[in-house]
Amino acid sequence: MNGIVFAILAASIATVLSGIGSAKGVGGAAQTAMGVLSEDSSMFGKMLVLTLLPGTQGLYGFIVGFLIMINCGVLGGEVPTLMQGLGYVAASLAIGFGGMISGFAQGKASVAGISMCAKDESNFSKAMVSITLVEIYALLAFIVSLLMVISIPGIKM
Amino acid sequence: MKKDRKRILEHLQNSSLVQIRHNELPEEGFSRSDTAAQLQQFDRNTGLMKQALKILDKTVPEKKGLLASFKGRREIEPEDIGKIASASPKVVGICNKIIDLEKQRADTAAERIRLKTLLAQLEPWKSLDIPLNTSDTATTAVFIGTFPKMFDDVSLSEALAQDEDLVFNYEIFFSSSVLTCAVIYVPKTQREQAENILRTLGFTRPLNPTSKIPSEKIKRLEKKDNELVKKISEATVNIQKYAKYRMSISDTLDYYNLRADKYRVISELDQSRNTFILYGYVPEEDEKELEAICLKAADCIVEFTDAGDDAPVKLKNNKFAEPAESIVTMYSPPSKYDIDPTPILAFFFYFFFGMMFSDAGYGLLLVIATTIGICVFKPDKQMRNNLKLFQYCGVATIFWGLVFGSIFGDAPAVFYKMFTGNEITMAQLLPWPTLDTQKDALTIMILSIALGLVHILVGMGCKFYVCIRQKKYAEAFFDTGLWMTMLIGFAILAAGLATLPVLITIGEIIAIASAAGLVLTQGRGKKGIFGKLIGGVASLYDITSYISDLLSYSRLLALGLTTGVMAQVFNMLSTLMGTNVIGIIFMIVIFIAGHAITIGLNALGSYVHTMRLQYVEMFSKFYEGGGKKFEPFSVNSKNFKIKKSDKN
Repeated sequence: MNGIVFAILAASIATVLSGIGSAKGVGGAAQTAMGVLSEDSSMFGKMLVLTLLPGTQGLYGFIVGFLIMINCGVLGGEVPTLMQGLGYVAASLAIGFGGMISGFAQGKASVAGISMCAKDESNFSKAMVSITLVEIYALLAFIVSLLMVISIPGIKM
Repeated sequence: MKKDRKRILEHLQNSSLVQIRHNELPEEGFSRSDTAAQLQQFDRNTGLMKQALKILDKTVPEKKGLLASFKGRREIEPEDIGKIASASPKVVGICNKIIDLEKQRADTAAERIRLKTLLAQLEPWKSLDIPLNTSDTATTAVFIGTFPKMFDDVSLSEALAQDEDLVFNYEIFFSSSVLTCAVIYVPKTQREQAENILRTLGFTRPLNPTSKIPSEKIKRLEKKDNELVKKISEATVNIQKYAKYRMSISDTLDYYNLRADKYRVISELDQSRNTFILYGYVPEEDEKELEAICLKAADCIVEFTDAGDDAPVKLKNNKFAEPAESIVTMYSPPSKYDIDPTPILAFFFYFFFGMMFSDAGYGLLLVIATTIGICVFKPDKQMRNNLKLFQYCGVATIFWGLVFGSIFGDAPAVFYKMFTGNEITMAQLLPWPTLDTQKDALTIMILSIALGLVHILVGMGCKFYVCIRQKKYAEAFFDTGLWMTMLIGFAILAAGLATLPVLITIGEIIAIASAAGLVLTQGRGKKGIFGKLIGGVASLYDITSYISDLLSYSRLLALGLTTGVMAQVFNMLSTLMGTNVIGIIFMIVIFIAGHAITIGLNALGSYVHTMRLQYVEMFSKFYEGGGKKFEPFSVNSKNFKIKKSDKN
């Protein structure tokens, strides 16, 4: 029995969970941004930047998912053993949960940043930097998942 | 001299050399003139014009290209400003007319809505051939009105027949679930009986009965409605006729704004009966030019003194660093104690942006697009600098793209495989050694952190320099220097782990020596030996913040990888349909759309994250900010700029 089902499960976990985080984050931010834009549509560029910031988690998850697919025989690579498949699942949990929860948190920070920027446009860079502070945790989760995923094919399990 | 007031101000405004200093109160013996009345007048006029322009934009939308916002302001001759000035009363008149027409249009539209409600009320009575306010004839009482529920012929006659004596006849004109319109005839003698019954049924007469037959009335109203529609379109056409004045309106708007700026300055001037004094800041290098301008314009004395502590800051950089000034000012302009971080920031900004965007194809697109933008639209200074910023970033992106072997992702390799059927990797295609973001992720991560270390060390080096310049030697050597040597020690140690064991020992010695130094010096502000020692040991805890700063640079890898993988995914999708005609069309569409998405998302990400690395990781090491930006008194117009003439 090989571990391809688990590898596919892992790809789904990585993509879906972090996608949920980003979707919720960007969704909330977009709602607030639209409120601001209804008053002053000239802020579109700035609002777009602030709204998109919680969107990276989904991308990270997607990349991990994609790399798993490339490694595990769906889009190339060799079919993993059962334990390797389980290894992929374990690796995907980091970006899955890390991405999802940091997505929620960054979404909230984005909403606050948008309100701050709406009051005074010169706050834009401060808002932006503060929102990216959350990002580091998604990033760490991503790096951990990534390093695990690319090294699993080489580990004998 | 006071009489030259306006002339000097005009010259200053056109030259944009001076920032006027705001003093709370005039110097002794001087007074201020009150320009509030004029300013109010200007505000009213600019308000009118803005409103008129808005109306014009709504009625006759201006055809603007997508890229029009890059376009610089139109240049006009200095003499033209006089023409604009003399035409301004006429323009104000035009604006008034436009606003009147718009008001007319709005009123007419409101009138139409009223007509529509009337028509809707009359609609059910369309087939009635007597006026709605018809009352009794000689022998018959007539009731015209509505019931608030549905009746048909049978149910109405049943309802009316509650009173057995009542003789009646009726016609139903309209019937729906909430409304029934009907006419009821009864003999005049039974009028009161009928009224009683009708009241119990909820019968009401129409609200505004007319003396006309409904169908005629409807016709008349419809005719009136047509007239109103005509009136509205007439007003619209009239407004459209004014569209050709759009340019002169915006010119005049600018002109009034300029004058308002000037009057605002006048109200700040210290004036005596015949003279006035103007205080302002001027960059040192422009002193001569300013003096020449003032002396040429009028009889005056120009004195220069030291600017003092709260002087505004004007950044001055070479061509390479200048575009990054906006990034520094977005954070905060440097204070008097800071060094100008722009050159350092500029280099790392371009470098890190390139590493995150990391695709030769995208970089090339970026360079081409910005070059076209600069050459074709001839944008104003700020926009030009923004475009230049991305031009330099594009160059860095090309460099890193080539290092990572990424040209529109792995497009060359994918197409090679698609058309020849042979597998090939980018590493094999490119003649130089490349780093693969996926296979060599660990290497690139180490590289990222190493670059981060360099970045942080440069930041700390700046702090070191700033402290030395302020003669705070203890701070320079103990607080900054020891941490720098400690980080370098760790770096050598880490390098030793990978290469020579000798380096491990050297690194260890440096790190331990620095740590000892820190323990001994960091508590120097505290009292007592224990206090000093504890303070020193506690300061070692700061190592965690340095570690988290360094880890933060792993985003260089993460974003570089994101770009590469997304591009790769779209390349793969685009070749799905094979090499037949449909497949090629599909490929082109997916390729363009996919890479457009990738560029959009990743350029944004790279921009934001480079900025964060500068602001949070580097600026926190040495940069204080909090200075004020130099904002000279200048021609602050949106529509035109005045050509700099040499004669002055």
